[in-house]
This record gives sequence, structure tokens and C-alpha cells, in this order.
Amino acid sequence: MKNKIHKKWFGLLLVLFSLSASAQSKHTVSGYVKDHSNGEGLIGVSVYVREAETGVVTNPYGFFSLTLPAGNYTLVYTYMGYQRVEKPLALNSDQRIDIEMSDESQNLKEVTISTRKEDENVRSIEMSVNKVEMKTIKKMPALLGEVDLIRSIQLLPGVTTVGEGASGFNVRGGDISQNLVLLDEAPVYNSSHLFGFFSVFNPDAVKDVKLIKGGIPAQYGGRISSILDVRMKEGNAKKREINGGIGSIFSRLTYEQPFAKGKGSFIVAGRRSYIDILAKPFLNKDLKDSKFNFYDLTAKVNYRLGNKDTFYASGYFGKDVFGGGDFGFGWGNATATARWNHIFSNKLFMNLTGYYSNYDYNLGQNENDKNAKDRFVWNSKIISKSIKPDFTYYITPNNQLTFGGQYINYDSRPGKATAVSEGEGLNLDLPTRHADESALYIANEQKLTDKISLQYGIRYSYYRSLGPGIEYAYGDTTAGIRKLPILPGKEYKSGDVIKSYGNWEPRFAVNIGLNSTTSLKVSYNRMSQYLHLLSNTAASSPLDVWTLSSSNIKPELADQVALGWFQNFKDNMYEASVEVYYKKLHNQIDYVTGSDLLLNSFVEGDLLTGKGRAYGAEFYLKKNKGRLTGWVSYTLSRTERQVMSINNDEWFPARFDKPHNFTSVAIFELNKRLTLSSNFTIASGTPATFPTNGYGWGGFSLGNNYNNARNNNRIPAYHRLDLAATLKSRKKLFGIGEGEWVFSIYNVYNRRNAFSVYTRQNEDKPSVSDKAQNLLRTEAVRYSVIGSLIPSVTYNFKF
Amino acid sequence: MKKQNINSLTRFFQLSVVLLAIIGLSGCEDVIDLKTETGPSQLVVDGWITNQPGTQTITLTWSSPYFDTNPIKPVLGAKVTVTDNLGKVYTFTDSEGTGKYTWGKLATDTLGRIGGKYTLKVEHEQEVYTAKNEIKRVPKVDSIAYTNETLPIKPDKDKGQKTGFIVEFYARDFVGTGDTYWIKEVINGKTNVDKAEKISIAYDAAFGAGAPSDGLIFIQPLRRSITYDSLYQAGNRVGVELHSITNEAFYFLQQVVEQSTNGGIFATPIANIKSNVTNADPNGRKALGYFGASAVSKMETVIDPKKARPED
Repeated sequence: MKNKIHKKWFGLLLVLFSLSASAQSKHTVSGYVKDHSNGEGLIGVSVYVREAETGVVTNPYGFFSLTLPAGNYTLVYTYMGYQRVEKPLALNSDQRIDIEMSDESQNLKEVTISTRKEDENVRSIEMSVNKVEMKTIKKMPALLGEVDLIRSIQLLPGVTTVGEGASGFNVRGGDISQNLVLLDEAPVYNSSHLFGFFSVFNPDAVKDVKLIKGGIPAQYGGRISSILDVRMKEGNAKKREINGGIGSIFSRLTYEQPFAKGKGSFIVAGRRSYIDILAKPFLNKDLKDSKFNFYDLTAKVNYRLGNKDTFYASGYFGKDVFGGGDFGFGWGNATATARWNHIFSNKLFMNLTGYYSNYDYNLGQNENDKNAKDRFVWNSKIISKSIKPDFTYYITPNNQLTFGGQYINYDSRPGKATAVSEGEGLNLDLPTRHADESALYIANEQKLTDKISLQYGIRYSYYRSLGPGIEYAYGDTTAGIRKLPILPGKEYKSGDVIKSYGNWEPRFAVNIGLNSTTSLKVSYNRMSQYLHLLSNTAASSPLDVWTLSSSNIKPELADQVALGWFQNFKDNMYEASVEVYYKKLHNQIDYVTGSDLLLNSFVEGDLLTGKGRAYGAEFYLKKNKGRLTGWVSYTLSRTERQVMSINNDEWFPARFDKPHNFTSVAIFELNKRLTLSSNFTIASGTPATFPTNGYGWGGFSLGNNYNNARNNNRIPAYHRLDLAATLKSRKKLFGIGEGEWVFSIYNVYNRRNAFSVYTRQNEDKPSVSDKAQNLLRTEAVRYSVIGSLIPSVTYNFKF
Repeated sequence: MKKQNINSLTRFFQLSVVLLAIIGLSGCEDVIDLKTETGPSQLVVDGWITNQPGTQTITLTWSSPYFDTNPIKPVLGAKVTVTDNLGKVYTFTDSEGTGKYTWGKLATDTLGRIGGKYTLKVEHEQEVYTAKNEIKRVPKVDSIAYTNETLPIKPDKDKGQKTGFIVEFYARDFVGTGDTYWIKEVINGKTNVDKAEKISIAYDAAFGAGAPSDGLIFIQPLRRSITYDSLYQAGNRVGVELHSITNEAFYFLQQVVEQSTNGGIFATPIANIKSNVTNADPNGRKALGYFGASAVSKMETVIDPKKARPED
């Protein structure tokens, strides 16, 4: 049955493909679109052919290709925040045209301003996609003045977070591990510094951010909820540039420079927190040797060889280091990406990516002192290596075929520990687990008529859990109780396939243009995920372990349909959208009560499987132009899980379920020097479980929920206002550079927003008489991560 | 990470608090009013028998609304017995009518023995509740030692002084994985576990099944867990009681600790603590609490500064 359906899919694909590829005498115009000021390739520039009323969008490397019948045309390049460019084109042979576009703020005479506007938001097949320009992110108020990509996208429709200081973000009912966070195509396993307060992306090194919540194209796979595609800057190809800043948390420095006469360029960006350095004089001798810092280093280099090849290499390395006395704790990501762009013909573009990504942590007492009488050392690691060719074949302006594949190799070392007590030591080494994941995909984006365009494709992913390793079967017990392994486990040798899974993942999207400023879009996608983050805490902790699918852990799957209405007003000054979505999640992981997820050889026995559903409506209005820019967004949604044994087997709201969520972002350019901005957010409180009854046991006051419910209550609503002002220095810095001050206040009206509300035995020292009276000593507590307003000042400079 | 210990971890937390406070990110807790629903009351068993001579007590109470300020109601008129695996029946009686059912009038009366298996039976009105447990082996406490200590930061008012002694005990876990223990701090001859977060439990010689610790001397954080949140002073009479407990009791206590210390951003979902007491009628009202059994070894000392180890 399943196979038949997939055959049909391929059949449909072929038919549509052959229909559109009708032979005609045509020529191709192709090229790169770059930023005039720094030579960075521009992603998503609309290249529109006025006479043919058709067009394309530049790919993540700034490349486009259009094949048209011979004739005279005008190419119109438009890109948000950039001046429009019109280029006359006499197409009588294949042509390569590379152009540069300038920022709106600059005035260049070669640019002609036309009156006709195109409209990417409405025209593009993409839906459920949010792009936030780095320029905007940099102007928004930020916690402690630290520009933060993850916190900024939490203000978008359909995106929530468990609470302040929590790592990651939740998209349309998915948990944080279901987002594929890509930094130059390498997955980032933990996107946070300082548990979750700051994200690992250095804003000075980021060029473009795109969040795909639905209608996910076939080229992406591996996570079931969203794709956060972060592209790093390539480095200024025109001139040397130095950016930097001194904030309350980080000091930042970025250096960019062209080389080989502009054929190549590089960027190196570093940040380090320096609170520990500032605090040092105030700490006494015992605390002086303590460590408390986090840093990251980002670098990228590119080189253009001839007309057809460009090479990129980029890397990220970040670490959080904490320690006091003999205790130490550290975690960090490292990624490295190498890419090769090759233009086979002016119609066929290839990008070949190879990446390495690693996340590890270590925790312990006397970690580095091998002779210590008492020691505890513990570490965990996940490494993935991948190769990924992607092709775009620009068949006709009406058909753009993408195809390619990916191979990923995983090594997961869930935990390795050494305990030394009074000089005697023991080791525990949870066996390394190996797996690989392969995928092939093909998709076509087709303009069926002037009004209707389609994107259809399919991805097949295939996962193998590989030897060497031991696989345990688990005995069946009552649902919700820890399952015990049946010993001995089955041993596998290197080269053995322990378990394999394959999944067809169809993707489909359609855009129906209702008129030049309005369109209706529908999409469906199925996604699969073979890697799972075991996390049973409200906010994910850096200790959480990424675990591979096995005989006992099935791949997570999700199906999503979305329907959207997109409309632009007033010459694209405003763009508006309303989207509704419904998502079903399969094989969702939950945990037995009292689960032990760390250093547990039989952790699979502590896992439960359930399903999830999420649905909602997202309303979004964005103002793109003028002195006032920004957006308002409102999301009405519901996210639920159903897991046997939890909440009496009935559906319950997920920990990050927030039915109402309103955000607004406003940026107002008062004058050339001063920009003001604000964020306001108000959302329903997250769900909580409270006891119905109390009882005394062993002198403690304990709670019990008579109905055995989960998340049957809610904590108070969350709301917060932030303000910021950016003031450019009047004087040139050292005669050449620019400087600016950023003043910001987070949580302006000083609200103690609840992260959680919970009950506990009250803190009062119990007296003997209390015990004699046999009273319950209970209280409810509101826990706020941020208890006051937080002002900050940042100074940024640029040479 | 939740397990507190006066030395390195505490120091780390103190440092984090200072540094986070500097950047304004310290979380804060406020006690608030909360309205919650209330369920019907349930029978609560609070009993723990040991191999020590003297009176053994099993307390039966009713659960009440969570924020109830009235005294906890005792369960009166129940028939309470403990039967061991040799068939001997121990009858517990509530002579004072307070819900405290006791056995053993003489100081030499001993109920538990290592290797014994015990079944508790509580009959109240139409309902019959039972619970089973057993007494596992317990290693002897080898010694108690104390070390001079100066805390990096002056502690809060009720948390003792800046200088004093960290007291630790030495004992060795039996060889063979899966021995579980409850370590209790003893002050002036009495165990002092007044809040759930002070519960110190060991799986072999470390915190959990995951840590490789079978047959070791208890690891330092456990040895020092009898020095909880304040330092001892010269002349204090301090000691330890080491109780053997079953794995089931270990997980029960772990849930008690988890429920009682479940704040912060890394809180786990709140779930009911699983009782080992079952109602003979599967559709009857479930019971709460736990019936435990332990063998105990103990040691006490009086702190003499001359014998203290020098500061680390």
C-alpha cells in the first residue's frame, strides 16, 4: 500500500516534469548578486523579467539562472532594504551577469528607481517562513544589550519558549530538539551559552537567518519541526573591515579582509564574556581561581577560482567554562564546514558540503588532578560527519529542479565516568553508539500558470544503527514503570547493522495568486528524525544527551498541513499573513517517573512513547519601510501530548503550550543618529501540575495529585516590555571609523514573570512542637528567572 | 547537580550566585497564594522498621487539602500487623489513640533482622492495605573524621559560622552492585533529617546506578553529606546512621527529594510519589506513603579541634 502511494508520487513528478520541459530555442542568463559595500552574496534576491512576467530568487550563495526565448528584456532585481536595480538585457546567447546591489541608505546614481514593485512575500511559494534581517535583529532591544538571534526569533509567530533563560525555542508544538539549527549547513547541537541566556551565534558574523516552520522543502531533513538556517558572512571582499563592541556580557571583535585581489575574503570573529575578569578583584582568595566564562570563535574564508567555482571553509568553536574550587563544568560545540560551489553549465548549479559537528560536555571534581584521593570525572559527546551534494537545475523559468542527497555518520558517546574514592577508582563507560543516515531527494518548483505555482518533491531517508554495540530487549511491565533489560543483551560486531529504518517524506506546496498583492498558499510536509534529545527538565540542560534511534527508540515522525493567506498593502510597505496549521507528531519520547537519563546503561527502559498534536492560527503584520518598521504577531495555538500512563492516558498540554501569544517589535528611526526600538510580548502562562492533597511522611510534607493529572493548571500570564536606543557618534572614531552607543532596558516595568509556580514544604525551621502538632507545612512559590528590570549599555564600533 | 554538599559544589553555587547577581540574572522565589483543587483524603502509611532494639512505630494518617492548616488527622481503630517470612506476627497497637501504632514495650525488644522479609497489613473499616519490604545487609561505619574549613563567603544567619568543621564518615559499600543506603546525620544522638532535601541516599558508593562505584568507600560528597548546610563547631556531638534500604525504597526517597527540591529552570515534571502500599481492592482508594525496613549501623563522636584535619 505504502509503496504504491510512493510510486504514484514519482509518477506525478515525472509527468509534471516532462510537461514543463518542452523543447524550445532558448538562452540562459545566470549570475551572482552581491552586496555593493562588501561583496557578500545576497540570498533570496528576486530577479524578475518584466517582459516575460517571470522570475527567480537567488540561492543561498547569491546565484540565479533564467532560461528565456531570445529577445530583449529588463531584469529587475529587488531585495528588502536594498535599492532596486534594473538591467536591460538583449538575450541572444547565453549570458553571465553578476551584479551588485546597494543598501537603501546609500545613494548611487547607476541605480534607477522604478515604480513597479514586486512582492516576494506574496509571490514566492514559500510559506511558514520567517526571515528576520540582521539589521533588524541588531536594532531590537536585547537582554543586557547582547544582540541575540534565538531570542529574536522567539518573537515570531508560532515560536515559543518554555521561559526566560531556557535554551532553544519551540516551533508549532515541537520541542527544542526538533529544530534543525544549521550554521553554514552544520547542525549545532546546543545553541546556548550560560544554560540558555545567550545564543552561540555571534551577530557580527551572521549574514542571514531564515526560520522554516512549514512547507519544508525536500532538501532539508533530519528534524521534524523546523529548520533554522543561519548563514555566516563571507567576509568583506572589497576592503578591510573591523567591527567590535563592548557590552555588559561580551566583548566582540570581528576582522574581515579581501585577498587575492578580491577573489577571496575571510572573516574572523570572536566573543568572550568577561564578567569573571571584572569580578576578580572582588573575590577573596578561595574564589580567585574560579572560572566563569564563555566564548566563541567563528571564522570563514572563501575563494573564487575562475568563473565557475567558489570554495568556502567555515568553522565555529564555542565553550562555556564554569568552575569553583575543585569543581568544574564545561560544554561546547565545534563545527567545521567546507563547501564547493560549482556551475556546471549556466543552468546547473551544484553545492557540495562536507561538515563535522561535535558537542561535548565534561563535569567533575578534581578533573585534571589525576593524583587526587577523591575524584569524579564525567563526559559525554556526540559527533556527526556528513557529506551533502545539492544540485539546482534551472530548466526553464517555470521549472526549477533541485535534487541531491546527504550522508551523515554519527558517533554518540553518551557517558563516560570515573569515580575515585579515597584513592580507589572505578570506570563506567557507556558504549559508543554508531549510526548513519542517508537521504536522497528530488523536488521541482513549477509555475503552472501565471497565478499558480507548485513545489513538489520527495525525500527518502534511511537510517542504520550500526555495530559494534550491545542491544538490549526490555521486558514488558505496567505502562509508566521502568522497564528492565533482558540480560544478556545481544552483541553486535563492527559492520553489523543492528536496526534500520526507512522513511518516505513527501513535500508539497502550492501558491495561488489571487491578484498582484494577494495569494493563498497550502503546504504539506512529512519529516523524520533519528536523533533524540533525552531531556526531562523544563528547560533543556547542557547535560542532556543526544541519543540515536535503536530497536527500542523509533524514529520521530511529523506530518504538517498549513494554509495561509498572504497580502501586501501600500506598495509593499506592509505585509500581512494569516496561517493555520495542524501537525501530528508520532513516536514522541517521554519519561517514566523518577527516570534516570544520565550515565544509565539501560536508559531506554526509562523512556515512554507517545504522540503529539499541535494546531493553531498565526496572524502577522509587518511594516517593511519608512521610519517606523517592525511587526505585530498573534498566535492562537494548542500543543498536546498523549503518553500511556501519564495523565491517565489522556491528552495533556505540553510544557511549552501557550494558547495565546502576542508580540510586537517596533523600530523607529528618529533621525540619522538616533534609533529607538521596543519589544512587547504577552503570552499565556505555561502549564503546571499542582497537588490536590498534602500528607506527612517521615516528618516531610509531601503533595499528591488525586487525579494523577499532568499540566492541569497554568501559571500566570507572561508579559514584558523592552526598550532600546541606538545613538551613532557624531564624530568619526579616530577620524575614520564609526561608533554607536546602545542603551537598553529589559523588562522595563519590572515585572516578576513566573518561570514556574510550584509547591514545597515551607522553608521555616521546623520546631519540635510543629511535629507534635502534626501540621502540614506547605507553601506555593513563584520562581522568576529575572526579578527586576535590567539596564545595559553597549558600545559598538566599525572601521 | 541538585545534591548539595558543603564543599566544592556549594562553593560553586555561591560563586555562580555572586556572579549572576552582578549581571542581574539571579532568579528569585516569592511565596504566593495559590488556589488548588482538593481531592478526597487517602490513607497514609508512615512506617519504617529496623533491626535496632526498642519500640517500632507505624503512623497512619489521612491526607488533607494541600494548604490545609489544621492538624493532620490520624487514622484510628485500624488493625495493624507485620508478619515476617518465618510466619511470626507482630501486632501494632495505638494505645494513645493518636494514630501511632507501636510494637515493642521493652528496650530490648527487636523486630527486624538482616535477611528478614516483612509484610505490613492494615485493616481499616472495609479496606485492607498491604505492603512488603525486606531488611538488606549494611556495612559497618569504620570511622568519623573532621576537617577545618573556612567558607569563602559568610553564610546566612541561620547557616552557622564562617569557620568550623566538615564532618565525614568512612564506610565501604559491599561488593556486588545494587546495594542501596540511606545516610542520616545524627546530632546529639538523634537523627536530624528535617527536610526532604537533606535526604542523602547512596546507590553502591555513589549517587545513582549510573556511577561506577561498587565496592568503594562512599564517595566524598556522600561521606560529607552529614555536614549539610552549616559547619560544625568544637564540642558538637555528631554522628551518622547508615541504613540499608531496598532499591524500591531508594527510588521512593529519590522521588521525595525530587518533589521537594523541584524549583529552578531544570525542574522535572511533577508526578505523584509511588507508594508501596496497595489496597486489596483494586478499585478502592489508593494509599499513600511508604513502609520501609532497614538494618542500621552507626557511630558518633565529639569534635575535638586538636584531632581535626588541616584545611584542604
